[in-house]
Amino acid sequence: MYSSDGEVLRELSPRGQEDWDALESARFFRRAIEGGRIVATEEVEPGVLRHERLPFVSYPYEWPFEMLREAALLQLELLDEALSEGFVLKDGSPYNVQWRGSEPVFVDVGSFERLREGEPWAGYRQFCALFLYPLMLQAYRGVAPQPFLRGSLEGIEPSQARALLPRFRRGVLTHVVLHDRLEAKHAARERDVRSELKAAGFKKELIQANVRKLRKLVTRLSPKRGRSEWAGYREAAPYTDEDAERKERFVRSAGAARLAWDLGANDGRFSRALDAEYVVAVDGDERVVGELYRALRTEGSKTILPLVVDLADASPARGWRGVERRRLEERGRPDLVLCLALVHHLAIGRNVPFAELVGWLQGLGARLVIEFADRDDPMVQRLLAAKRAEVHESYGREEFERALREGFQVTRSEELGSGTRTLYLATPRL
Amino acid sequence: MAPLNYLDAGSGSMLLQIVLGGAAAIGVTAKLTWRRFLRTLRIRRDDDET
Repeated sequence: MYSSDGEVLRELSPRGQEDWDALESARFFRRAIEGGRIVATEEVEPGVLRHERLPFVSYPYEWPFEMLREAALLQLELLDEALSEGFVLKDGSPYNVQWRGSEPVFVDVGSFERLREGEPWAGYRQFCALFLYPLMLQAYRGVAPQPFLRGSLEGIEPSQARALLPRFRRGVLTHVVLHDRLEAKHAARERDVRSELKAAGFKKELIQANVRKLRKLVTRLSPKRGRSEWAGYREAAPYTDEDAERKERFVRSAGAARLAWDLGANDGRFSRALDAEYVVAVDGDERVVGELYRALRTEGSKTILPLVVDLADASPARGWRGVERRRLEERGRPDLVLCLALVHHLAIGRNVPFAELVGWLQGLGARLVIEFADRDDPMVQRLLAAKRAEVHESYGREEFERALREGFQVTRSEELGSGTRTLYLATPRL
Repeated sequence: MAPLNYLDAGSGSMLLQIVLGGAAAIGVTAKLTWRRFLRTLRIRRDDDET
């Protein structure tokens, strides 16, 4: 795979070319492309495929439970359909899925290959490690899996899942406990087992039965979550309806954008108000992003991508030499950034100095809509109450504006009716 | 750089897929067990294909 002049191209190996020739005419494949479930793909010259470019790349450790489950179901659905026509997926990875807003899209066309008689699904173990165990962890233990997925690109191993998950919940005895026992017993015998299964008449109906049971299991998993600090934040925050409407008007006045980032998006009200072709709606709270995703999915939104990202510890570069999975900032620069009701959380809650925050935002090179809450704002008071009095003495509007003007030219500002919050529209100094 | 795709299917994971194959797996399990039994009795060698 490579990117050339804004195009996403894939070069096929001789075997890949044979698989593509067969795949191209498969009914399930055409149907999935027409329905948008597989990324639009065409052969531009022999051995080279061109894929539809999706607006923003994201990774499973940035998805809330609902998105990971949806991506798992898409993968299983496509695999089931592929098996019916003699194809199989050679892996089972959530990195094969990207998003068109709230809609999952399978992007790794090269994962489909013709099914070889007598072979099991090679991606089953990976499916467990990167989809099933992380989902079970949240459904059965109430532990969010994103830190695990970010910690290891290989996901959660069967032995780790066995130690983490309760034995007597649906699917655990087979997919986890037995899986781990068999793995320990048969380590380093892959070739033997492959030929044994083939000789014993292993057939695709076995894979299909497993896939269908997995679909049922995954569908039934629902997220178990503790109390969220930010769910319902907008209701609890000191905004009157009038202030919220003024904020919306201010956001709209920022003008059109190709790619906008809404940092601290919460319920997505201002992401929806933006005049942008595509919005990446970021929030650090997994539950909030899960709820936003559900709402966007119900609305059928294809232009807002909700992601779980803690901005004080955002997604780093991962994988071999740090180039396989990219940092958030390296996956497409925004031309408009919303930073509403966020500065006080970063400055007080996470001790990020104003100059640091402004410097980072300036580096994005985008127009900025930013909100500042004064010291006497009720939310700021709440945050300050948890700190020693002298720690944030320099938190104030004057200090913030000084830092902001270092990196940006402020073109407009507006104080909200509450009297404690101010909005700024600014362009970065180059 | 494109991600490095190496996948270890895992022997245990492959065997587990028989268990997960439900009713369709009965014949395969029986055949697999019978072949292993014969091999234990040294009636069949590892590389016999049929």
